[in-house]
Amino acid sequence: MNREQKIALLMIIAISAGVVAGCVVFGILYFIVGIPGSLAGFAFIGIGGLGGLGSLIFKKDKGKITFDERDKLIKEKAKLAGFTASFLFAGLGCMIPFFILGPKASISVIWLPNIWCGTFLTAFFVHSVAIMVQYGRTGKGEKS
Amino acid sequence: MAKSEITNHIRRLRFDNGEMTQQQLADKAGVTRQTIIAIEAGKYAPSLPLAFKIARTFGLHIEDVFQYEDESA
Repeated sequence: MNREQKIALLMIIAISAGVVAGCVVFGILYFIVGIPGSLAGFAFIGIGGLGGLGSLIFKKDKGKITFDERDKLIKEKAKLAGFTASFLFAGLGCMIPFFILGPKASISVIWLPNIWCGTFLTAFFVHSVAIMVQYGRTGKGEKS
Repeated sequence: MAKSEITNHIRRLRFDNGEMTQQQLADKAGVTRQTIIAIEAGKYAPSLPLAFKIARTFGLHIEDVFQYEDESA
């Protein structure tokens, strides 16, 4: 497993842990204090930010060559996947309320940072998953 | 869209060339070992410059190492 894979794996774990923790705390608070107090539980999604520490934690790979054309291609495809997913998330985040509530309805601006946060997390999560999927299991290829 | 596939004899050629390791071939071709593993397994089609580098590492022509199989042909 190379450095990019390690960083991607940490990102996936951190974001997954953050989302699960946020939803669990929200669920618990919902029954104790109800809405809107329980929305504070989603603050635990911030755990996902720990995934950003990957580039500091994991040192550069050993060896003469650590990055080549295949790595570059994988990164480019992962970026495209992350951008596409975040674009879809932001688009759906804007359009679904429009179609559900109608054109004359209004919503609280509190949803705007939530949509931004969700878009951000979606981009990083899909980017990381795309990296892991593209590298596949070649890191554990047969010894020569 | 016609199915096509690039196959190669890298694994056999490595062993024919003094049991060259994947790491040794990777260093000579200027790529990572993971890339050599992916090429050998047919999971990654190398760029033309890389294909030439690999072929020259073995002292062969590119078509002696890589074969293009076009099912529509």
